[in-house]
Amino acid sequence: GEVPSLLSAPPSAVRAAERWLDLGGGSGEEGSEEGYLRKTALRSVTLDSESAQKQEGSGSDSEPHTSCPSSVEPHGQEGEQPDCIKDDTDDDDAGICTVTESSSQVLQFEYHILYSCSYSSPVLYFRAFTLEGRSLSLEEVWSSVHPNFRLRLQNSPLNTITQQEHPLLGQPFFVLHPCRTEEFMRPVLQVAQDQHRPVNYVLSWLSVVGPVVGLDVPLKYSTLVHPASSVSSTEPD
Amino acid sequence: MADDKDVLRDVWFGRIPTCFTLNQDEVTEREAEPYYLLLPRVSYLTLVTDKVKKHFLKVMRAEDVEEMWFEYEGTPLKWHYPIGVLFDLHASNNVLPWSITVHFKNFPDHDLLHCPSNSVIEAHFMSSIKEADALKHKSQVVNDMQKKDHKQLWMGLQNDKFDQFWAMNRKLMEYPTEDGGFRYIPFRIYQTMSDRPFIQKLFRPVSPEGSAHSLGDLLKEMYPDAITNDGEQKRYQVVIHGIEPLLETPLQWLSEHLSHPDNFLHICVIPLTHQPAG
Repeated sequence: GEVPSLLSAPPSAVRAAERWLDLGGGSGEEGSEEGYLRKTALRSVTLDSESAQKQEGSGSDSEPHTSCPSSVEPHGQEGEQPDCIKDDTDDDDAGICTVTESSSQVLQFEYHILYSCSYSSPVLYFRAFTLEGRSLSLEEVWSSVHPNFRLRLQNSPLNTITQQEHPLLGQPFFVLHPCRTEEFMRPVLQVAQDQHRPVNYVLSWLSVVGPVVGLDVPLKYSTLVHPASSVSSTEPD
Repeated sequence: MADDKDVLRDVWFGRIPTCFTLNQDEVTEREAEPYYLLLPRVSYLTLVTDKVKKHFLKVMRAEDVEEMWFEYEGTPLKWHYPIGVLFDLHASNNVLPWSITVHFKNFPDHDLLHCPSNSVIEAHFMSSIKEADALKHKSQVVNDMQKKDHKQLWMGLQNDKFDQFWAMNRKLMEYPTEDGGFRYIPFRIYQTMSDRPFIQKLFRPVSPEGSAHSLGDLLKEMYPDAITNDGEQKRYQVVIHGIEPLLETPLQWLSEHLSHPDNFLHICVIPLTHQPAG
């Protein structure tokens, strides 16, 4: 079987993702069949090009979303406004990574989730602007990625960030390459199947890839998945 | 009757006579002459225009030069589309040579991808090949190739070496005989009538009953407006590599013979009213 299309998932599963993603239409000709999920967020980001090359401390291979506190955690879990998240620039005191020379600025990030029928998986597209509307370059985006994630991406070239044309809008976006998605999603789906637990495929996938580029999935959304709403999660074809 | 292999050669060696003119707002030390070049249909603008850049840099100061980009009649040209696709889509019904304007300032980063080096072009090209193979063979053939085989595909394109390229590419064109074709056909349908850059969806070359799908079958499913019904006047041209294949042509054959080196069938739907006056 194939992983169901993002947009053919049961309405309640999509609603969970929709809580903090607006459903953006494509050109509208075929309605919801070809939409995408979209979220914009303001992030206060440290552009840290100095330590893009060096790596301190943790050489561990742990999953990105647990290895190091992201520098862009949202303010608490209560009173969150999905449309506009302004985050602290934390001083990272976990000792795992050191931020050296850096400048901190507020940037506007736009995240889109599309579905790749070629790879039967969701793909995360994103772009960033300064508040004056200047697009960020690949170098600047790269330097906004947390150093630990950066090392991990550099070591697995198929997971790098590249600039690509948005297939519905025709504009340049940055993309996290979907090639390896099946690799890390398969165990998640298998365990859930074995334990007869429901899985919201989109939220699971997003919780792994999102934080790499500053898109966090607050824990409370995982509690919105309940047995009646499970996405039937068979392995990707 | 042309051999199928001749078709592969004709596709590979297709050329478009082009005239490059410097944007008149660029700051020059003296007048810039236009530069003429035959562009390969199957290649990419930024891969084949080093000479163009050198030519115009001769009359400009370094501080006035940023990333080079191209424009045709006000439309920024996407370097990551094959040259032939850009021509068929934007200029096919106009006179030759194709007149392209060259810019060195004000890069339109809301429209165009950056192209800082040839390795970006290579990455883009290889990514298309991989995606095409994901559709054709669940990535099995491309994943079985070694790194040097991938390199051979790219070098073949970069250096215009048909034999070197096809020595490797033929593997990507094979399929189990019992299947009758690839799993899905890698294609993109382009048009300029709406904002959407292209249509790309899953489509099998063979129907569940076992009959071969044609180009017409693909269009009926993906872009029905492009088909002229009986009694109607023809509104659109369906163009691949500058020609209009018969709609009865089997899609599997088109995919094997008229794909671009990136292994995609790039199909342009052009309105017939888009003709120059006179």
